[in-house]
Amino acid sequence: MKCVIEGNGVKVFGKAIHALARIGGELWLDPMMKGLAVRSVNSAHSAYTCFLFSPLFFQHYSPDTGPAQDCGTVKCKLVMKSVLPLFRCLATIERNVDRCQISINLPDNQVIFQFHCRHGITKTHNLGFQESEALHAVFPSHLCPNVLKAQARLLGDMVMHFPVSQEEITLSMSPLRVNLKSYYEEESDCMKAMHTEMSLDPSEFDYFQVGVDSDITFCLKELRGLLSFAESHGLPVSVHFGAAGKPVSFSVEDMVLEACVVLATLVNPESRTPSQATEAQVPAALRCGGVAEPSEGPCVADAGTPQAQGFPSVGELIASSQGSPVFSGAALMRELTRTGEDSDRLRPRYTHKGRGITTPASSKVRSLLFGALSCEQGDGCTSMLPSLVCSSDTEDEGEERASGTL
Amino acid sequence: MPLSTQSQTGDDNYVLVASLDNVRNLSNILKAITFKDHAIFNATPNGLKVTVEDSKCLQANAFIQAEIFQEFTIREDSVGFQVNLTVLLDCLTIFGGSTVPGVATALRMCYNGYGYPLTLFLEECGVVTVCKINTQEPDEPIDFEFCSTNVTNKVILQSESLKEAFSELDMTSEVLQITMSPSQPYFRLSTFGNSGNAHYDYPKDSDMMELFQCTKTQSNRYKMSLLKPSTKALALSCKVSVRTDGRGFLSLQYLVRNDDGQICFVEYYCCPDEEVEEE
Repeated sequence: MKCVIEGNGVKVFGKAIHALARIGGELWLDPMMKGLAVRSVNSAHSAYTCFLFSPLFFQHYSPDTGPAQDCGTVKCKLVMKSVLPLFRCLATIERNVDRCQISINLPDNQVIFQFHCRHGITKTHNLGFQESEALHAVFPSHLCPNVLKAQARLLGDMVMHFPVSQEEITLSMSPLRVNLKSYYEEESDCMKAMHTEMSLDPSEFDYFQVGVDSDITFCLKELRGLLSFAESHGLPVSVHFGAAGKPVSFSVEDMVLEACVVLATLVNPESRTPSQATEAQVPAALRCGGVAEPSEGPCVADAGTPQAQGFPSVGELIASSQGSPVFSGAALMRELTRTGEDSDRLRPRYTHKGRGITTPASSKVRSLLFGALSCEQGDGCTSMLPSLVCSSDTEDEGEERASGTL
Repeated sequence: MPLSTQSQTGDDNYVLVASLDNVRNLSNILKAITFKDHAIFNATPNGLKVTVEDSKCLQANAFIQAEIFQEFTIREDSVGFQVNLTVLLDCLTIFGGSTVPGVATALRMCYNGYGYPLTLFLEECGVVTVCKINTQEPDEPIDFEFCSTNVTNKVILQSESLKEAFSELDMTSEVLQITMSPSQPYFRLSTFGNSGNAHYDYPKDSDMMELFQCTKTQSNRYKMSLLKPSTKALALSCKVSVRTDGRGFLSLQYLVRNDDGQICFVEYYCCPDEEVEEE
């Protein structure tokens, strides 16, 4: 692979590296025909981010390293600590760097970053890499019932109110408003810390679609990198999510790049309470027959997950879904069921060595993300994102997923 | 200025008296060579030379010419002593080293000769501090026997271009390799760290390159820990000359402008790391 980034693009690439560095300690480089994908995942596999730079982003882009074959590209895993210092000071890069060439030297197992700077100075960094399976999570955001789209500035203004140390926040969505508030796991924390809560009208968003009322709790820290990137580019951010427990995706795109962060969300029985409070405000007519869903087979498999981990039965999940004026719970579940048949197509292409990584204390959030980063068990790629697992065809997927995502 | 018009009782005993209206013209330069506690001072009618050494492999010298001082009186051909440099700097900056325009700390440095302490009078806005620092017998500075006739390669660079490179140097590398050659890559700094290698190349026609005189291709490695302190001198300087001789010994000379725009010099000498042979 060989690519050349010119001028301002180097700073953009550097900003992407900064955002990726917020997530994980390793960087995956995946040169593809459709562009260069740069990815990272956190150690708990509860956060994944991918930046895809289309060939248009580069002054020159050739993904193949050897004789052109469809597997002519190699996927590299680099240590983030080696790459980040190269892009640490973005102001200096902006001032000094004319262009940056990135190439992969297969025989030496090196990725070469060469910066051509002002005054004819050249800086060459040869970093060792590990050849690796591609890290890839497939998140079918088009199937998410809830969608928000807003300028990065709005989201930045929202999260700005939370202290930098705030780990998790809860985003609640109903047809009437969008709430954002700080989340604390332990009762005791509630007493010591400052709570922040804000409420926005749906009209503040460029796009607002509520399929199911839901409260999702996710890690804010891991999102800040992408928000910072989006703000510096003035890009709108799209948020796709469903009920609590299903992943949430934040994505940005422009003509030459796409980026997304997919975060696991907490499955927490308490999180249903705010929805039920909302329930009281929704006219009775809208409380529809979503409650009928639990009887559907595939979903029951989900609920049958032995390692409950606070994973409520699907019946309870559905009960919290309010049927919105736009979508009815029943129709939504049927839709997801149909998609289940396509789940093969959507299975992640690779497994990834995810096991053996110790789960941090807050295991509820970590238990979830997405089976796309499932274990190396070779059971085939286990589950998809829970939103599809619900409707997948095999009942035993539930168990596989449960064992896989830890 | 109060200090210089003070009644000079006992002044006749001083073998060295040096005064500065702005002590920063001395303290800033000394900060550029403070990587060890002890410094050897040698004063001659030409001015002051301060030497700091490390493990017999590295030597740093700061030169402050007599013209820089408002008063520089020396009664012998050569006056030498050794003091704790850290203590000296603490005293020189005792008023906090503020850079408020118009407010400067004045210095009067006096030395009575062998066995006497170094006496410093510092004054700012009418407040006077007197410091007496014990002196020791000066060690003989190492003579690296680096002479211009043996210089094989020499470049002079504008410091700006090197400052960034030095601040980014991979500190997990034990050595810094300097390659100088009449052909590509001309002038290259290389590190070999945990994550991989890095090379900083300066072409001979770069507009940062003020002088390029390389006669033969040489590549020498120097311990990173020895050279890293030179970054302070680099930060203060506007130009730096890099020279190597036939043995691979390195001479770095920094041209420093002080607060009043006057020129002082700092130089570093470093032995090559023994394990690597020159090409």
